[in-house]
Amino acid sequence: MKKTFHGYTKKDKAVYGAQTVIAVLVTLIMIFPLYWMVVTSFKTGNVVLTKDIHLLPDSLSLENYIEAWNRVPLGRYIFNTVIVTIIVMTIKISGGVLAAYGFARGNFPGRNILFYLILGAMMVPHQVTFIPLYILCSRLGWVNTYMGLVLPSVVAPHFIFMLRQAFMSVDQSYIDAGKIDGLGTLGAIWYVMIPMCKASLITVSLTTFITEWNSYFWPKIITQTDAVRVLTVGLVHLRESWNGEALWLHTNVTMAGAVITMIPAVVLFFIFQKYMLTGYSKTAMK
Amino acid sequence: MKTNTSGQKKRIKRSTLEEFLCVLPAVLLVMVTTYYPLAELIRISFTDWNLLRKDYNYVGLKNWQWFFENAAGNNFYRDMGTTLMYTAGSVLISLVLGMLLALLMNRMTKGFGAMRAIIFLPRYVGMSSAGILFLWILNKDYGIANNFLELMGGPRLAWVTSKGLAMISVLMLTGWNSVGYAMMIYLSAMTGIPSSYHEAAALDGATRSQRFFQITLPLLSPTILFLLVTTFISSMKVFNAIDILTGGGPYGSTEVIVYLIYQLGFVDYRVDRAAVVSLVFFAFLLAVTILTMRWSENKVNYDM
Repeated sequence: MKKTFHGYTKKDKAVYGAQTVIAVLVTLIMIFPLYWMVVTSFKTGNVVLTKDIHLLPDSLSLENYIEAWNRVPLGRYIFNTVIVTIIVMTIKISGGVLAAYGFARGNFPGRNILFYLILGAMMVPHQVTFIPLYILCSRLGWVNTYMGLVLPSVVAPHFIFMLRQAFMSVDQSYIDAGKIDGLGTLGAIWYVMIPMCKASLITVSLTTFITEWNSYFWPKIITQTDAVRVLTVGLVHLRESWNGEALWLHTNVTMAGAVITMIPAVVLFFIFQKYMLTGYSKTAMK
Repeated sequence: MKTNTSGQKKRIKRSTLEEFLCVLPAVLLVMVTTYYPLAELIRISFTDWNLLRKDYNYVGLKNWQWFFENAAGNNFYRDMGTTLMYTAGSVLISLVLGMLLALLMNRMTKGFGAMRAIIFLPRYVGMSSAGILFLWILNKDYGIANNFLELMGGPRLAWVTSKGLAMISVLMLTGWNSVGYAMMIYLSAMTGIPSSYHEAAALDGATRSQRFFQITLPLLSPTILFLLVTTFISSMKVFNAIDILTGGGPYGSTEVIVYLIYQLGFVDYRVDRAAVVSLVFFAFLLAVTILTMRWSENKVNYDM
């Protein structure tokens, strides 16, 4: 077989060309739904319900976004989502970092039993325990409150596991050196562990943010009024504020709401792509 | 010297206590959010608890009797079957389509990197946005999917509202959402396979497909198992996509187990019965996890 300059045969080149073409096609199919969401959100009323294919929006006005904003208290939903996400991130990450340090470096009696207790919790999903969790919240008066919203998400066993792995890879001599310089336990975590395990922590924080921002199951159960409703549930609420044909007629408004709901997580994904991908592959290999 | 050692001992003791205090918040939170609800679930299953009433009585095994004597009548078998069918489809998408995507996208150029990111992206779109988007795309009268189908001479299909296609629609949504993740997991495992293996095989005259079946596939077996187990467990717990897309319908054809528990608890207010179904479901998940862990110990190739 004839070899080209780079050592590839003609057949190799043909395979490469075909691979590129198929890859581009597949990518276009995967991105199309999101493209369609954005396009629909800019369409004006009469061109939404059509059997013809209009791949481009007929206007670029923000009319539908304004209508979505006015139809339901979207601003309130965003505020609630931000508050809930911040509370969850604060407790989950600080508690997770502390626990990971304790399990990675501690030598107290019962350490292994407690660690297995945390690991075991990974096998008990909220889809199994949501009814007693709801009853617990209702006893505490936490139904339809921020407290109720955050309760099931404030601890994440797999994060503790992942951070513990990262902390164990830090050499003990760094901590000893820090302690000689007068650092306490919290100081060692803050000045030694966190800077040295920055990548794992960023991954954990991002995943927490995105999971919380997108969570739907528990917020649907625990929220009842707009005062605490989060974006994901509010979006379905927005859609169902119309009935029958009117529901489909206002698809452009619902799609505007969907775009608003989607944007923060998608933007974060593009900014921090590197961390998301490495984070996943690392956890996958363990 | 003696004072020194006792000082050291004190320091060690203090640091042990501090490390215990470090793990304490997480342990307490896990107790409250996981183990206490699990224990409550068992207790509730022995009561006649109705969410609409203030008090309840212990009724022994009545709910368990209800469950085992009418498992067919109370839709448990049907919904378990539906859940397993969804799970099978979802696992197939992750394992097979994910692998095909990984093989297709396995080129380390900037352009391919960007395409991989785009395929991975849907995972970060929340299920409520994605769900109402797919309701629109799959709409019978005006959806773009049917517009394209019609353009090519096909019929306008009732995607989410017909018994036969509703589950396919759900799988399209969740498959779109998650197949990029499977691809990324495969790709990161593939980069770990030394290229010398492939080069040596190629020198010996092995074809592309031979190299795939003799080298890549066996070395990926831990990854395949990882994806199999995680996709299986997470698919069994599906709720969001179903709730938004089909609401369990039409005629219960997409009613999965978590949806059944939700309905028993929050529509019929029979938390006592919901507790029984939750526990049976939990036992099933636990059994699957433990069995696969046992089985994987000697079946998977970790030689890497």
